[in-house]
Amino acid sequence: MSARESILRGRFWPIVATGVVLLALPFLVRDTFFLNAMILVFLFGAMAQGWNLIGGYAGQISFGHAVFFGVGAYAASMLLSRLALSPWVGAWVGAALSATVALAVGYPTFRLRRHFFALATIALGEIARISFLNWRFVGGAIGLYLPLEYRNRFGFLMWDSKRPYYLVALALFALATALVAVLDRNRVGTYLRAINQDEEAAEMLGIPARRYKLYAIALSAVVASLCGTVYALYVLYIDPYNVMAGRISLLVVVIALIGGRGTVWGPVLGAVFIVMLNEYMRSWLGGTGSGADFILFGLLIVLISVREPKGLVGLLQRRALPEALPIQGASDDQLPYAGPSRVMPPPDTFPDSDVLGTGEGILLRVSRLHKRFGGVHAVRDATLEVRHGEILGLIGPNGAGKSTLFECITGFLRPDAGEVRLGTARLDGLAPHRIAWRGVARTFQAMRIFPEISAWDNMMCAQEHRGEGLADASFISHLGPVTRQSRVLLETFGLWDMREFPAGALSYGQQKLLSIAMAVLRRPAVVLLDEPAAGVSPVLVTQIARHIRDLNASGVTFLVIEHNMEMIMNLAQRIAFMAEGQVVAIGSPEEIRQNESVLDLYYGR
Amino acid sequence: MELFLQAAVNGVVLGLVYALIALGLSFIWGVMDVVNLAHAEFLMLSMYATYWLWALGRIEPALAVPIVLPLFFVFGWLTYRLLIRHILRASTAAQIFATFGLLFVLRYSAFAAFGPNVYGIWQQGLGGSVSILGTFIATARLVAAGVALAAFGVLWLFLQRTKPGKALQAAAQDRTVALALGIPVERMFALAWGIGISSVALAGIALSPFYQVSPTIGDAFLLIAFASVVLGGFGRVDGALVGGLAIGLLESILGTLISPTFKLLFVFGIFVLMLLFRPEGLLGQAR
Repeated sequence: MSARESILRGRFWPIVATGVVLLALPFLVRDTFFLNAMILVFLFGAMAQGWNLIGGYAGQISFGHAVFFGVGAYAASMLLSRLALSPWVGAWVGAALSATVALAVGYPTFRLRRHFFALATIALGEIARISFLNWRFVGGAIGLYLPLEYRNRFGFLMWDSKRPYYLVALALFALATALVAVLDRNRVGTYLRAINQDEEAAEMLGIPARRYKLYAIALSAVVASLCGTVYALYVLYIDPYNVMAGRISLLVVVIALIGGRGTVWGPVLGAVFIVMLNEYMRSWLGGTGSGADFILFGLLIVLISVREPKGLVGLLQRRALPEALPIQGASDDQLPYAGPSRVMPPPDTFPDSDVLGTGEGILLRVSRLHKRFGGVHAVRDATLEVRHGEILGLIGPNGAGKSTLFECITGFLRPDAGEVRLGTARLDGLAPHRIAWRGVARTFQAMRIFPEISAWDNMMCAQEHRGEGLADASFISHLGPVTRQSRVLLETFGLWDMREFPAGALSYGQQKLLSIAMAVLRRPAVVLLDEPAAGVSPVLVTQIARHIRDLNASGVTFLVIEHNMEMIMNLAQRIAFMAEGQVVAIGSPEEIRQNESVLDLYYGR
Repeated sequence: MELFLQAAVNGVVLGLVYALIALGLSFIWGVMDVVNLAHAEFLMLSMYATYWLWALGRIEPALAVPIVLPLFFVFGWLTYRLLIRHILRASTAAQIFATFGLLFVLRYSAFAAFGPNVYGIWQQGLGGSVSILGTFIATARLVAAGVALAAFGVLWLFLQRTKPGKALQAAAQDRTVALALGIPVERMFALAWGIGISSVALAGIALSPFYQVSPTIGDAFLLIAFASVVLGGFGRVDGALVGGLAIGLLESILGTLISPTFKLLFVFGIFVLMLLFRPEGLLGQAR
């Protein structure tokens, strides 16, 4: 039984039971204060779920979600009072507006460091508040009363009693939670987590990071906007102070954060805890409360940020989990070797990667490449050709420009001059994920895997992303060929037993193997390895070399930077020698060993 | 024209105070790459401190400096020791949340202690106004601007001319190397927090004679400070000065010429535009 099945079986009946109790509650309890508190739990809980998508999974923190809430409230209210348009329609107009605003803020700021997005959302909140306070058309500071003649009609979502509101809010809450649960289980959830942990590494694997983040924030804004619409219909009066207040933005952050961001149940727990505490404190202490609960929230947030990033959910999970199993082979790097035959299935089981040119042709061509950093000319006029099906070693002293060359080929750096071609297609100038889509894969010198997700999920991030639609990634789980191929690779590399462990818990050597497995999973045309043998034991160096050779035998082309001369001379068919930003010599290992300039520049003869 | 000139003079004076608020934020950011969302809450608390010294002890804001400044230096030092130290190597999100939690604690502590009411100092020694270039400026504001300029000068001298100042710069550039060279990096960082927080406290004292305090004034000032830092360029002391001046001038001139209601809107709008088109700031280098 897989972990997922056991979770499902263990959780299915409790969820159904909770649902039944929640549905029955408004018919059993008449306490309006309690019902009101529950409605707020549902609405702000649903909104916190929406926030969770962008702030939790994608790690882009928004302090301005009240704007989306407010747009939803204003759009539906205005359409209802001016045009008598049903909120069933108005809600979606508001949602579309909110999503547009969210995309407009996210598009430019997602490429910057994460603080900028957080700051932009604070500014957005203030801009919206001041604008709406002074915008006569929507009532300005006086606010807007909703027309009461539509009450008690389902088509207008307005009632006299609290019970129907309770049910509507509950439905919204359940839908938002279900949305997050579905995304969490499917590819989008895995990708967002990976992007949160290391955006560049995700891009290198071909995950279009910004597209997924924009998707997350648009969904997030839609959920918040729908909550705003329902809230307006519930309170029947809106002004900038009650629907566009910074207080609301902060409340949802607090709910998601204290409950546990990046988890499905965090916002649920958080909403019950925070909103109930908030409401009952207010009734005990009178007025708006003394702020004592907010001091407590603040302290909790500080504690969570330092000690327990997963909030209440993290605390509960910690108690529920037995102590972690010892990881096999974590202490040494003695890994079983499964033999060469299973490394790669025959090429025809793969989806076509448009490997351009076959036979002995040139696969990757770097011509006259230049890259400067200020005064340092890291790559100057480098020219290099990788032949189809070969292992080409790239050696040279430190600072020769080898890694910079990799950065230029993979699109993380933009070369100042020159061009990079894969087959006939030009790569320079393309975004890293597009270069990955063309069939280039790489590993990093300082290893970059996603430490907080499992080794298996790391593999899933490494699948082919070209042509992968958002809808597919949201609602369809991983595809059969991908999981089969991942299994073969993990078994071959001796990592299969550790697939459920967070990748960060693997030993250094295992992480190294995992990163190579990730690079070759989608069977790219060419794989660039940046010092695969650095920092691992001699036993593992031989194993890694063997894996590379086997993969090469099954048709994968490699370009390998390496300082371990023994390994690379035995592994590569050809060696290129780089010094001072240029490829000085290229030839068979024998030729390179005897080349005058190599002996001068590298061995310091 | 006269109106414009008056607005410009007001803008420069206001801008210098904004620059002083932004200084601590930018300084801490530059030294240890931590963005302090609670920065403006320290401004709010120092304004309360100045107010209560005046209201209860009849101590003039100018005389409050030697009392409030050391207090906030210790406050900043402790913030580093008790909180920031633990999140230096944490993820960006954890850093944002840690100072966000601090913001909550400080703001609502003020709420609990002083209530939601607005307090202001309504009478003090620096009354009257001074005439510059045919425009008039309140003496208290002029003094505030002078204090801000002086603070920049002192910090610049400290960083360029003293040994601890140079050690601080070294620690900012590379903690590990600085540590290996025997620079007490921990103490340098705590010192940076002490300096950063006491400089924003100084801004609070300077603002007190003409600006009222309530628990929620932090929001606007936080954004103004961020706008100044973004405009000038991150982590640069001179950037805070240029950015603060630019924001003060923009707010004052656009507020006078168009409408005072929207003056903050202009500031935040410029902030967002900068984020969109030139996030490295006016003085910063392109990425």
